[in-house]
Amino acid sequence: MTEVEIPEVTTSSDESTRIIEKSSKIITAYQHALIRLPSEGLKIVQLRPDGVISLGKFGSFEVNEILGFPFGQSFEILENLKVKPTKSISQLHDDGEAGENSDEAIEDVEKEKDELTKMFSNSAEHNQNIINIGSKIQKLSNEEIDELKKSGATSKIGQTIIEKMIAGHEGFEKKTIFSQQKYLKRKQQKFLRRFTVEYLGASQLLQYYIEKDIQRVLDMSEESLGLLMTYANIRPGGRYLVIDETGGVILYAMMERMKGQGSIVLVHDNEHPNIIALRHSDYPEESINSMIKTINWLQFVEPDNEKIDWEDATAEELEEMKPSKRAQYDRRSKRAHEINEVINIVQEGNFDALVSVSSLHMPTLLEHVLPTIGGSRPVVIYNQFKELLLETQHFLMSDKRVLAPSIFESRVRAYQTIPGRMHPLMTMRGFGGYVLWGTRVIPKESGVQAIGRGIIKRKREDTPSTEDEKSDKKPKEE
Amino acid sequence: MSFYQYKDTIEEGDLVFAFISRGTIKPIVITRDQQLNTRYGHYEHNDMIGMKYGQQMAGARGYGFIHLLHPTPEMWTLSLPHRTQIVYTSDSSYIMQRLNVVAGTRVIEAGTGSASFTHSFARTVAAEGRLFTYEFHEPRYNEAKRELEEHNMTGNTLITHRDVCNDGFELDNIPENFQHDGGINGDVIFLDLPSPWTAIPHLNSVISQTSRVGICCFSPCIEQVDKTVKALQDEGWTEIEMVEVAGRRWEARKDMVKDIKDVVKRLKDIQSRKNQGIENRRHAKVKSGEKRDHDQVDSGDNGSDSDKKFQNLGKGFNPFGKGIRVREGDDGFEWRNVTKVEGEVKSHTSYLTFAYKIPVPS
Ligand SMILES: C[S@@+](CC[C@H](N)C(=O)[O-])C[C@H]1O[C@@H](n2cnc3c(N)ncnc32)[C@H](O)[C@@H]1O
Repeated sequence: MTEVEIPEVTTSSDESTRIIEKSSKIITAYQHALIRLPSEGLKIVQLRPDGVISLGKFGSFEVNEILGFPFGQSFEILENLKVKPTKSISQLHDDGEAGENSDEAIEDVEKEKDELTKMFSNSAEHNQNIINIGSKIQKLSNEEIDELKKSGATSKIGQTIIEKMIAGHEGFEKKTIFSQQKYLKRKQQKFLRRFTVEYLGASQLLQYYIEKDIQRVLDMSEESLGLLMTYANIRPGGRYLVIDETGGVILYAMMERMKGQGSIVLVHDNEHPNIIALRHSDYPEESINSMIKTINWLQFVEPDNEKIDWEDATAEELEEMKPSKRAQYDRRSKRAHEINEVINIVQEGNFDALVSVSSLHMPTLLEHVLPTIGGSRPVVIYNQFKELLLETQHFLMSDKRVLAPSIFESRVRAYQTIPGRMHPLMTMRGFGGYVLWGTRVIPKESGVQAIGRGIIKRKREDTPSTEDEKSDKKPKEE
Repeated sequence: MSFYQYKDTIEEGDLVFAFISRGTIKPIVITRDQQLNTRYGHYEHNDMIGMKYGQQMAGARGYGFIHLLHPTPEMWTLSLPHRTQIVYTSDSSYIMQRLNVVAGTRVIEAGTGSASFTHSFARTVAAEGRLFTYEFHEPRYNEAKRELEEHNMTGNTLITHRDVCNDGFELDNIPENFQHDGGINGDVIFLDLPSPWTAIPHLNSVISQTSRVGICCFSPCIEQVDKTVKALQDEGWTEIEMVEVAGRRWEARKDMVKDIKDVVKRLKDIQSRKNQGIENRRHAKVKSGEKRDHDQVDSGDNGSDSDKKFQNLGKGFNPFGKGIRVREGDDGFEWRNVTKVEGEVKSHTSYLTFAYKIPVPS
């Protein structure tokens, strides 16, 4: 899998250690943050003091300008790398769309409203006559737009462009106020130099990857991530066994919920685990290392072969070692202890959940994994394909070590959210994946008579059968 | 702290979920000399003490079995006594994910109702977080309060008897360990009550004044959403978006593969038997009361596939088990794996209206 290019992000470890405790509330130096652009584009940036962040065609600004504001704050880019805090990108439109509530104090909103009112005075009542909003109604050429954007650096450019567009929009006058507002919203989002700085939570990180490279997160939606975290019962102090082929998005979501308490054993299929997404996490390397232990499948499946025979050197031996030899010894010693430690943890087992987000074949994998999961703990498996979970579910049903395995699908449908005009948006994502949830149990080896068959058999033995042969009644579950 | 932490062995006084079937999960408190009686067998509490969580237990009279499960909020949601409509996991998990509810978050919830979501919130905000939950219906308040105490959840969850629409959320005597900067200072709000728009104006004094606050209002009717959105706008909430969560559960099933070649072969077989008068003999046999259990069907498993289908019981070629009881997945037939959506889909739970509030820049 190739890494997505994110120009601003290069965490050198000395910088991440400057974060003592990361804040999810205040925009804080050295942390990573999500920048949401009016066009609904996303960017992850690291907030280096005195640094400059470029948002491409939207302009650039100095990091210091935004530090100390709460996460979620929107800004407008001014000249000379300055910004000013402003109402959220969406609120502008909320106000506009709500239309009537005019006691809005914020100055720029007033101004925009003035603009709008001017244009709305000629509005038609009904929009039957509106010609389809296509390229046809767009009198400005791309070159004209670019030129306008280059011609100055003031925040008014976006506004001017929009005005121009309206002027050149033949059908505009024939629209209802509502449609005009909707049109303006679209245009504003495209051109206004506003952006919002959000805390980079697990949902934001997921959303970022969904937009950049959905394959990396195996098509997972936010609602599926929520299901995974909830059904796996993720919380501080838990000991979890995790397979995460998203490069660490799942790990990050778990760490966010665990707040540094508990442990994760990550099983991976390469020599080294891919946890590249954690570089945006702002957790210091030491705390990642102390919380997450990694083990590869070879070590997992053949622990006894893979344990490293290691004897610490005596104090005297250490004394005698040359510096170069000593460094080598230290490396080897560290590695041996790490590997043996994680193998021991796995052999001890009794994990508080299995969380699997993987493209590996589950029935064969689960043979090795299930024995390590504690009794009554959740087994939660994500896949983008329902058919693969179906196979897994059938395997589990005959295996009996996982109770009531079920496949869950969750799909969020967004609405146009304007009072009096609520309706579902025309399109929604088709992806999102599926989550299998079951509970690890300890089946009784023998002497258990399932109620369905047992009772019926007994009845048969006792009394002449009266069962309807053709009955296709299903036996009681389990 | 059973909803906050696992243990391995069942002890007296523990809350245990007796899993009988997916639709029948019974929360029981292990009490000496008590019995759990179900249609599916009888189970002695005394025998449960010392067993491992997750263990399967056989009924005392030799039939039936249950699994003994550890409490989790998700099991609770499936088994709790319904005093009201409740929030199910597909909604609650999404709301917590979207509003970034994690260990340490301070949540305000109204009304408590059957405390389904309350349990889930309390687990996720964990020991460092706080949950302030409000219920104005007195019997429900009392029930919920008792539950929270029995479930050892009062360390991070504070329930208040209050009509939040008329009297707001402010508390006079917040226990010291529930205060933050001297107040409630909520980060996340969840409103599941009939008129959230009347509660929204009361929120300003109990939410964080220094960081972004998220809200979700949970209402079944679109008219309620309308009023809620207006109230949120009036109170300065932004990024207002309403969504719906469609959650489904899929069951794994098996469907018999019925090859047209076998259909034709069977028809030919019937025809030739008719000609030979064998059909008549078969009827005579059935009358004599001989019935076959599927075990017998299973037994002929030597030989080729079509031998298997040829049940070899004097009844002709019967590849799909016509006239005998065939269970899904029985040997001797060919199956393919299929999914089927659960019998009753929750096609509409509620509309979820999300919004955020940012402190005004000073
Ligand atoms: C649908 S139930 C909540 C269910 C809950 N979310 C759960 O998951 O179990 C709504 C509850 O809100 C309570 N309620 C309604 N209006 C209220 C008010 N003004 N103040 C406090 N509680 C209120 C009702 O008594 C009812 O118990």
